Order: sequence, then structure tokens, then C-alpha cells
Amino acid sequence: MQVLSYLWQVTLHSCTMGIIFYGWVSRVGLPSGRTRMQLLALLLTLPLVTAAIPGRAAVEFGERLAWFNSARLLAVPLPFHFQAGHVMALAGLFFVLVTVWQEVLPALRPIGGNAPAAPDDVVAQVRAKRGWECCDVRVTHPEAIALATGGRPGRPTLLVSRGALEKLTAEEFAAVLTHEHAHWLEGRWWRTHLLFAARLLQACNPAALWAFREYCNEVELECDAAAVAEHDSRMFARILLRLYQETDGRDVAARAALRRRVDELTATETPERDLPPFTVPVVALVMLGVLPWLV
Amino acid sequence: MARLKALSSLVLVTAGVLLGLRGLHLALPMLFPTTRQGPILIGALQDIQRQVGFAPLVPAYRPEVLGNQPERIAVWFSPDPACEVIWRTGEHDLVVRQRRGGPQPSVSPLAVPLEGIAESSWWVASGRSHLVLRHMGFWIEIETSLPARDLRRFADTLTPY
Repeated sequence: MQVLSYLWQVTLHSCTMGIIFYGWVSRVGLPSGRTRMQLLALLLTLPLVTAAIPGRAAVEFGERLAWFNSARLLAVPLPFHFQAGHVMALAGLFFVLVTVWQEVLPALRPIGGNAPAAPDDVVAQVRAKRGWECCDVRVTHPEAIALATGGRPGRPTLLVSRGALEKLTAEEFAAVLTHEHAHWLEGRWWRTHLLFAARLLQACNPAALWAFREYCNEVELECDAAAVAEHDSRMFARILLRLYQETDGRDVAARAALRRRVDELTATETPERDLPPFTVPVVALVMLGVLPWLV
Repeated sequence: MARLKALSSLVLVTAGVLLGLRGLHLALPMLFPTTRQGPILIGALQDIQRQVGFAPLVPAYRPEVLGNQPERIAVWFSPDPACEVIWRTGEHDLVVRQRRGGPQPSVSPLAVPLEGIAESSWWVASGRSHLVLRHMGFWIEIETSLPARDLRRFADTLTPY
């Protein structure tokens, strides 16, 4: 029961933070980049801390001191003797199932499996990358263009689809490879996996689901930037457009993410400036001061 | 300047969300009375002040038949802070309810003022004596199985615990 209560508090804090961040970022027109990523990371981690602050679970705190007591919301009566809390519990269960189906099961699937090894020239090109000296490179069957990485630092695995080997030119393949390699540089792999763990701790939380996906989109944009720093940006945008066309139309989320990446690469206007570095600590302090009063 | 504008915008959005939540916090018990938090049972009279923010008014006059210690102490936090103390032994009991603010508790159509005590109503129904009065900014309800003559003694000896 205490665990459920804690998870509800995490969800409450996370949703409140999410609404505040969404409203604020929309008002100031914050572009993709460092601050946005840090805010999303904050959204995934800070509620785990604020919900654990002791002394907030007592009824008298909720009724006498708290700014908002969600126990009142959960007790709202619904037809057939149900309460709003029952609906919240069902919604939480739904998001747990979504998390298991869309994130946990794919993560548990073995990478590569029995896929054949890639041609020697491809393996040599991949292993020339820093940190990928021992990378296992395998070819998968799909005719679509697809590259994916798995494993862990020190033992990475790169999956290349047959379609990618056949349809991409050497320069295009190198650009895509630079993008995939960027996922393993500058601590991105560790940051993403730590945030994934934080996200799994709150599997029932829709705000965490949204925040983690947004964070992954931001990482993709960062890796795109790394790729176009070494290769032609218009060429890379064309590859993404081909991926967009090959993606199933029903996969709205994947197509939206690809479209956003193409938009970023082809943007002609100068992007608005990122906020100064002290912004995120100030935001964290504001949230630390506010969230504990919501129970 | 633009940086300060961004932070002031954050404060503005945060304040907006917090005001919305506060509105919900206050409106829910009014719209759905069952969302009120309480009763919360507590162990001792001295804990009431810590819980609801006021000292309970307890009749100093309590016949021995009621026993020395209350049998039940409960508090409510919303919509208005309130407490209820019950003394009971055998066939007799005394119930004192105290609420800060809010509307007057319901009284019987047969109720009449208790002589000498302003804003009071008393009546007897089903063998039980009832008294409602306003005292020191609180609504006090006294209900007992004891004779109606004891109501005045209870009212006259109400003192903060």
C-alpha cells in the first residue's frame, strides 16, 4: 500500500511538473537542445525525490498544511459506487501494460541473435570508430533501411539491415553510422539508460512515458547534429525522408519524430537561443519548494 | 533581460497551476461532501489542538456515571475543522461536537432558547437531550442521555482543554 501511495505521489508531482514545464516552454519558445534535455531529465527524476520526503503521508498534513490534497480528488464519487481513485488505478495499470509491451519487452529481446555477420569492409568501417573496436556487426533481413545498436559500452552490437547495405551509398552509410555512433559518445548511453531505469520505476506514470520519449527525441536530434557536423545535412535529411516514407503510416509517433528531425535539419530560420546554464538549477529549486506541498 | 523574462514566465505559469490546484482542493469538498477528510480517531484530548488548530471546549461538569476518560475522540479537517468527544459508560453518554465556522447545525423545530445563554437552542427527542449553542466563535453541539437539566451545567462549565 505504501508503494502504491508513493507511486501516486510521484505521478502527481510528475504530472504537475509536466503541465508547468509544457506551459512554460511553450511561452518562452524554448528550442531543442541542452536546456530542454535537462528539463526532461529533471521531470523524470525530481518527483522520485519530492514524493519520498517524509511526513507528508499523514492525513493532518494533507488537510492542514498541504496546498493541494489529492486524497480529495481520489475520493470523488462516481456512478456504481466507484470513486475517481479507481479510475486513476485503472489508468495506472494501463500505462504499466503499455510500458511492458512497448519498452520492457523490446529491451529484453536479444540483439542480433542468429543474424549473420556483416561483410568485412562494413565491420572494418564500424570498428574504426572510437569505442567500437570490439563492436559486433550483424546483418538483419528487412529490406527497409534500418540501423540499430544494442549491448553495453565495451560490448556494443550494431544491427544493419540488408536494405541499408543495398540502398544507401557509401557516404550515406557513413553519415548514418556517425549518427548511431554518437549515441555512444559523451555519456549519452549512460544518461539514456539511467533515465530509462528512472522511467521504469514509475511505469504507471503517463508524464514519465511522455518525458522519456521526448528525451529520446532530443537525443536523436543531438546525434543528428553530430552526423551533419561531419556530413552534408541535406543528404542526411534525404535519408530521414526515405525512412519516413518507409515507416508504416499507422506508426504515428515514429513518423512525427522523423518529421521533426527533418524539420530541424532543414530549418532556415536561426533557432532561438538556449537559456543560460543557471536556468535548470533555478527551476529545480522552484520545483523543490513547490512540489512537497502537493500530496 | 530576456533571461529574467524566462524565469518570471516560469513563476507565472507555476503560480497559475498552483492556483488551479488550490481551487480544486477547496471546491471538491463543497461539490462532493464525501471527499471530506475525517473522521480521524485520535487518542487524547490534548492532541486535538495539534490536529485541527484549536483547543477543545470540554464541560468541567461531568457526572461520574460518564467515566473519567473519553471513549472516542475524532477530528475532521474539512470543510471546517471540527472535533467530537464522547464519554460513555454503561447506559449514559455525553457527546460534545465543536466546529469552527460554517453554518449553524440543524436544530429541531421544537427547540427553544436556553434561558440566559445567547444563540442557543435545546430540545429533547427520543429520550435524549440536545443543545446547540455558539460559544467563543465555535458551534457547539451537546447531546446526552442524561436529564435535560444537565444541559445548562454542561454549557456553563465549557472550558478550553
